[in-house]
Amino acid sequence: MTPEELLKRYELAPSKDDELIEYERQLWQARYSPCGRFLIGCGYDATIQRWDISGEKPQLMPELTGHNGWVQAIGFQPQKNRLLSADSWGQLACWSYAEQATKPVWSLPEAHPNWIRAIAISPNGELVATGGNSNSVRIWSTEDGKLQREIPHPDRIFSLCFHPKGNALVVGDLKGIIRQWDTSTEAGSQSGDDAKEVRQFDAAILFNDEAETKGRIQQCGGIRHLQFDAGGKRLVCTGQKQPGGGFATGTPCAIVYDWESGKQIREMPMGGAQDGFSYDAQFHPDGFVMATSTAFPGKGHVWFWRPEDEKAFFTSSKLPNGFSLSLHPNGNNVAHLTSKSPNGNGRALKDGEYVGGSARIRLLHFPIEVDA
Amino acid sequence: MSSTQQSPLCKPWEHSFSRRQLLGATGAGIGALGAGALGGMLDPAVAEELKKQEKQVIFVWLDGGISQLESWDPKPNTQFGGPYRAIPTSVPGIHVSELLPQTAQQMHHLSIVRNLHTQDNSHSAGVARINRGDPKNRGVVYPYLGSAVAKLMGPTSSGLPPYCWVKPYSGGFKTGDAGFLPAKYGALAFGDAKAPENLLLNESVSLAENAKRNELRKKFNNRFAKGRRNESTDANSYVYDVADTLMQRRDLFDETKVSDKDKDRYGRHALGRHMLMARRLIEAGVRFVKVNSYHWDSHGDNFNACESLIPQFDRPFAALLEDLNERGMLDNVLVIAMSEFGRTPRINSHVGRDHWPEAWSVAMGGSGIRRGHVVGKTNNLGTFVDGDEYDIGHLFHTWFRALDIPQKMMEYNNDGQPLPVANEECSPIEELLT
Repeated sequence: MTPEELLKRYELAPSKDDELIEYERQLWQARYSPCGRFLIGCGYDATIQRWDISGEKPQLMPELTGHNGWVQAIGFQPQKNRLLSADSWGQLACWSYAEQATKPVWSLPEAHPNWIRAIAISPNGELVATGGNSNSVRIWSTEDGKLQREIPHPDRIFSLCFHPKGNALVVGDLKGIIRQWDTSTEAGSQSGDDAKEVRQFDAAILFNDEAETKGRIQQCGGIRHLQFDAGGKRLVCTGQKQPGGGFATGTPCAIVYDWESGKQIREMPMGGAQDGFSYDAQFHPDGFVMATSTAFPGKGHVWFWRPEDEKAFFTSSKLPNGFSLSLHPNGNNVAHLTSKSPNGNGRALKDGEYVGGSARIRLLHFPIEVDA
Repeated sequence: MSSTQQSPLCKPWEHSFSRRQLLGATGAGIGALGAGALGGMLDPAVAEELKKQEKQVIFVWLDGGISQLESWDPKPNTQFGGPYRAIPTSVPGIHVSELLPQTAQQMHHLSIVRNLHTQDNSHSAGVARINRGDPKNRGVVYPYLGSAVAKLMGPTSSGLPPYCWVKPYSGGFKTGDAGFLPAKYGALAFGDAKAPENLLLNESVSLAENAKRNELRKKFNNRFAKGRRNESTDANSYVYDVADTLMQRRDLFDETKVSDKDKDRYGRHALGRHMLMARRLIEAGVRFVKVNSYHWDSHGDNFNACESLIPQFDRPFAALLEDLNERGMLDNVLVIAMSEFGRTPRINSHVGRDHWPEAWSVAMGGSGIRRGHVVGKTNNLGTFVDGDEYDIGHLFHTWFRALDIPQKMMEYNNDGQPLPVANEECSPIEELLT
C-alpha cells in the first residue's frame, strides 16, 4: 500500500462518538486481552482493573487486588486465559482474568527484592520473564510460579520481550542497550552461569548520563518498551531521544531493528525536543509501527510509521499524553490510554479539594473495518 | 621549591591555642581557642564556654527540591505515595523511603521535621527566601544561614574562613550570600571541591619572600584604607588573609591524603566527593560548610530521577553522620539536609512532581538537636500538615539555639538599624532541642 492508502485505511480521528473509559486513578497500561473480550488496566493504585467490552458498553469487573505500590507490568498467557502482573514491591502474580473471581492463581510476594518493571511471556505460554531494579531477569513457570532460571544483568531493566519463535529474549535497560539472551536451558540448570548473551542492539540515543554530558548528576532515559512484529523479523524499542533530567523533556522516539542482521532500520522521532517519552509501541499486522507519546499536558502524539518510509504516514497531536495503545485482535480498534493530571506548583485546589490524577481510555476505530 | 617544602601541613590541634590566647580566654575574646585541645587544664566553666564556641555546621543543600515522599516522609500504598516502600530505620517506629537505606541506619543521629509549611513555591524567590530564613521585610537583604553564622560566631580557633561552600562548577569568593552584612561574610566556594586557582606559590617565590610580600601588601592596604575604610577594602584585605590561611592548609585539597576506603564509602560521584570534603573542612576547623547539589527539580520522570539522585545523597550523608559520630564530633557539629521546598503529592501527567511548600520535610542532627526523633506529621495522603505547622523561621531560631548563640546576639546592627537575626514571629522548636 502507498502511504496515502495506508492513511485512508488507518487514520485515527478522535470523535465524540468514541467510547471513553474513565478511571479515577492514573494508569500505566491498558491492554486488550488476546481473546478480545476484555480490556485490562494497571497503574498507580496497586490494582488491576478489568472491563468486559463484549457488550454494547464496557462493564467494569471486580478489580484484582493484592499488589502493592505500582503495577506497571502485565502480560497475557493466551493458552489458559491467564494474566501475569508485577508490582514495584517485587510481587509477581498470575490471574485467570476472564473469571469474576479475584484471587490469584498463584503469587510470589518476593519474586524480586524490589521494583519489577517488565514482564514478557514466552510464545508457548510456559514461561514468564520478569526484570527491573534488581538487575536480573528471572524466568518462571506460568503454571505454578516455579523459578526456572535467573540471568544477571548489568543495569536496571526497563523492558523485556520474547521473540515469537525460538528461545530468544531481549532485555532493554537504562543505559540504552538491548541485550539478546538465549534462554534455552540445560536440564536442571537454574543458574545464570550458562546464560548466553548472544548480541547487543545499540539504542544509546535513548540514554543520557548527565554527569558526563552536562556536569549534572542524573542518568536519564532508558528503553521503556520492546516489541517484536508477529513474524519476529523486526524489533521496535521506545524511549526518549537525548533525554534530560529535571523536566525530563526530549524527543519521544521509536527505533526499529532488523532481527536477522541486527541493524537499525529506522529511527522514528516524533514531536519536539521539549516533549517527553514514548512508553509504548507495537507493530500492526500491515507492517507499520503504532506508537504513542506523553509529555506535559496537551503534548504528545500518536503516530503510525512504516519502517521503509522516511516519514510517518499518520501523525495526530489530538491524542496527547498517551501512555499506551493497544490494537484489538479484530484489527479494527485501538485503545489509547492517557493520563489526566495537571502540572503546577503549589496548592492548586479544585473546589477546595486537592485532586489527584486520573486516566482516560479512548476506544478508537479505524475508518475502514477489516475482517479479523 | 617543592610544595612539600612549602607546606607546613599543620594540624588543627597544632595551632589551637597559645599561651597568650589561653590567658586571654578568660576574657571576652575567647573565640580563638579549641576546647578539645585544652583537656583538663581549664576551669570547667571556661572549657565549656570554649567548647560552645567551637560549634560547627554542615549544611547540605539539594537544590531544586527533593521529594519528601521519596525520602523523609513516605506514604506507601496511598494515592500519592508512588512506587516505593517505606523501610524501618535504626529508630523503632521511624520509617523512611527505601531509597535511603544507608541513612536509615543512621536515623538514631537524626531528627526529621515533617510539618514544614513555607511560603514560596518558586525557585527564583524560594531559594533565597529559605536560605535567609524568610525574615519580615525591612527593606534589607538578609544574609544566608552560612553568612549569618559566620557573623554571629566568627571563625573557629583554626583561623580558617568561617563560611566555606563546596559546590559543583566554579569556585571563588561569593559575596551574595552575605546580604546586608559586610562582604567578607560571604562564602568561600571551592568549585568541585578543588583548591582555589593559584593557591600554590609560584616556584620562584620562597616562603620568606612571600611573607615579606604579604607584609608590604598589608602596609599598602592599610595606607589605602585610612580615611576611607569601608566594606570593600575590608573584604579585599580579608580575601588575602583567607588565601594566606588556606596556603597553610593546602593538605585539605590533596586527595592523596584521603583513603580509598573513605572515597568508596562516600562515593566517587560529585556529591560523595563534596560531602567528604565537607567532613575534612569541618575536621580542619571551618565553622560552616555548605554543600550544594543541583538539579533535583524532578518535574518529569520523578521516580527514575529519584533512583538516580537519592542514592548519591544517601551514601555520603550516612557516611558523614557515621564519621562525625565516630570522631565524637556530632555533639558540636550541626548537620542539616534540605531543599527550598518539597514536591507535589500529585504525580503530573509527565510522571513528575512539581513544587510543594505546603507540607514537606527537613532532616537534621548533631549539635543541640534531639536524636532519633520526628517532629510533626502530614495527613495520611501526605498532602497537607496534620496539626501544627512550622516555617523556616522556626528552624532558624532552632538552629541558632542549637549552636548556643546567646540571646543577646540575636540582633544585627545594620548601621544603627537593629534587625532580628531570625523572623521574630517564630520561635525555636523546643521538642527538637536537647
